[in-house]
Amino acid sequence: MSTPTMGSETLGHLSEEALPGDEAPATKRQVSGKSPLRIAAGRLRQDKVAMVCLTIVVIFGLIAIFAGTIAGWFNVTTTPGNPAEDLNYLNGGMPYKGPPNGSFDPDHPFGIAPKTATDNLATWLYGCRTSMMIATSATILASLLGIVLGLVAGFVGGIVDKIISFVTDLFLTLPFLLMALVIAPILSERFALKPDTYKQMQLLSLIVILAGFGWMGVARLVRGEVLSLREREFILSSQVIGMSTPRIMFKELLPNLVAPIVVAISLMLPAFIAAEAGLAYLGVGITQGSSWGQTILQASSYFEHYPLYLWEPLLGIVVLVLALNLLGDAIRDAVDPKTRR
Amino acid sequence: MFAYIIKRLLSGVIVVILVSMAVFALFWYGPSSPARPICLAETGNRCTPDRLENYEEQLGYNNNIVDEYGNYAKGIFTGREMPIGNVVIDCDRPCLGFSHRSRALVWDELVERLPATISVAVGGAFLYLALGIPIGVAAARRRGTLGDKLLVSSFLFLSSVPYYLFALLAWLYFTLIWQVPILGSSGYTPITDNPAEWFKGMLLPWLCLGIFGCTQYTRYTRGAMVETLSEDYIRTAKAKGLPPSTVVYRHGLRSALVPVVTVFGIDLGVLLAGTIFTERIFEIQGIGRWGLSAVQAFDLPVVSATALFGAILIVISNLIVDVIYSVLDPRVRLS
Repeated sequence: MSTPTMGSETLGHLSEEALPGDEAPATKRQVSGKSPLRIAAGRLRQDKVAMVCLTIVVIFGLIAIFAGTIAGWFNVTTTPGNPAEDLNYLNGGMPYKGPPNGSFDPDHPFGIAPKTATDNLATWLYGCRTSMMIATSATILASLLGIVLGLVAGFVGGIVDKIISFVTDLFLTLPFLLMALVIAPILSERFALKPDTYKQMQLLSLIVILAGFGWMGVARLVRGEVLSLREREFILSSQVIGMSTPRIMFKELLPNLVAPIVVAISLMLPAFIAAEAGLAYLGVGITQGSSWGQTILQASSYFEHYPLYLWEPLLGIVVLVLALNLLGDAIRDAVDPKTRR
Repeated sequence: MFAYIIKRLLSGVIVVILVSMAVFALFWYGPSSPARPICLAETGNRCTPDRLENYEEQLGYNNNIVDEYGNYAKGIFTGREMPIGNVVIDCDRPCLGFSHRSRALVWDELVERLPATISVAVGGAFLYLALGIPIGVAAARRRGTLGDKLLVSSFLFLSSVPYYLFALLAWLYFTLIWQVPILGSSGYTPITDNPAEWFKGMLLPWLCLGIFGCTQYTRYTRGAMVETLSEDYIRTAKAKGLPPSTVVYRHGLRSALVPVVTVFGIDLGVLLAGTIFTERIFEIQGIGRWGLSAVQAFDLPVVSATALFGAILIVISNLIVDVIYSVLDPRVRLS
């Protein structure tokens, strides 16, 4: 198989030549038993930065999944405490025990929030869960949408391609922040009168908004790759033997697109985490339940006297987004060594 | 060329119309009733169904949405008279409606808030280029050295941090905690009132936007320059005995700038459409801040105006970029 010329220069395909890092298979009986993705995974394993980032991301993922259990270990909950008992109203509502004025408080390792006396650790843990859940779901939804639309546009072509491309360009033109700002409160307000489902609906509408403005990159990428792939012999031959179009798309084309899609997805996650927290910070994202962005919004007015309150969610976002971004870059380098800086 | 511009212009107009329709429809069908927030505010949270209906009737929210959108669109071009209750408000063109929250014409408010946003956006965008291009060129000339590697990795690090956190920390430390003399007084003063105050107030937002945004431009410039500097004509220029700065800036940078210009055009449009985080953090009363507060108060006319304004700016900047690009690179026009 010769290396084809493909459109995308950044999220490219796998190169065939082995890098010095790849050792030959130990047994000589099997000459080539590695799929392109496994070659890339092997390269990724050599990358120390990527491995550190991956560990961080996995830890955050575990925190998100087991937020409730971890909160149970420390015996903390997100229910507001008793401000009259825990907060010093003469001192601007600062807690009596623990930071910022006192020493470490074993009951509340991260301190408690001013005004509501809610435990910061519990808020942080559930904020991590919110952030991870929204970003992961939005990524899955956006990539599914992008993959399907890109495949259809690229493979079917003609008027279908024209329409899908127009919609893609239309969405790319729209200013994401402005649109999210307009849509988010409308969608969530719609459910505000039903308190029992409000929280779930807010999560859901945020996921839909993020995915709704995040699929275009993948769609364009997939379309471009499909346009060049569909002229290749293996597609022609599968058409000749009478394979159905959906089957060609998902069984023949899609496996060839896995590498660029993985790269696109790995860079989508940190963007969604940042966007979720950003919208919450502006007060139009998650308002029910915990969110790092929401905590940052509340904490910025206490920063002068209680910096720890702000630093906790802020570091959460920065570390997670940074690790995900660096990991995404490393995955891109592993998948296509030519883009290495 | 002409046909290309017309084609792009037409698709731009369609985008703007679709955006305005979408925002209008979203508000109309979105929350329980578009009149509800006004009703709540006016009656002190005692908005009974009867009162709500009264407000809907007064504000025209029980009319047909198609008619109301038609009126709205017509008003932009011809102006219109808006009956609200038994008062008729005269709204000259371009009429974007009447804000029920601030009880002012939306267009007047937009014009009032525009200078602040332009100040932020233009200053920030200027710094994008003024910082990004020289740093990128310098890095490309020293490619592979320790300084270049440090710069690339530190900029990668910086650009991975969400912008609003970067700006928020800058505001908190420079303005609130350290109260740095020049940077400490961020906020908007009209340039006509006091140019020095205007500059002082804008300095920190500009620096935040500029330092954060220039990372991207450094990357583009560096990438393009590295490629250009290995071209044959650069070697020819060097061989002719031209001084290195002439080779780099006159011969190299000129062709390396094409992709940078493209990104810049789009960024400027996005910035002008609403520097929402910057205005929110530095408490600048610009378009972004205005749109944000209108969204939270469900002030439909203001929200549609900001969305429309933003879409128009972005479409125009995209168009200009496309035209410039097609002049610079004939392949774009022909494809």
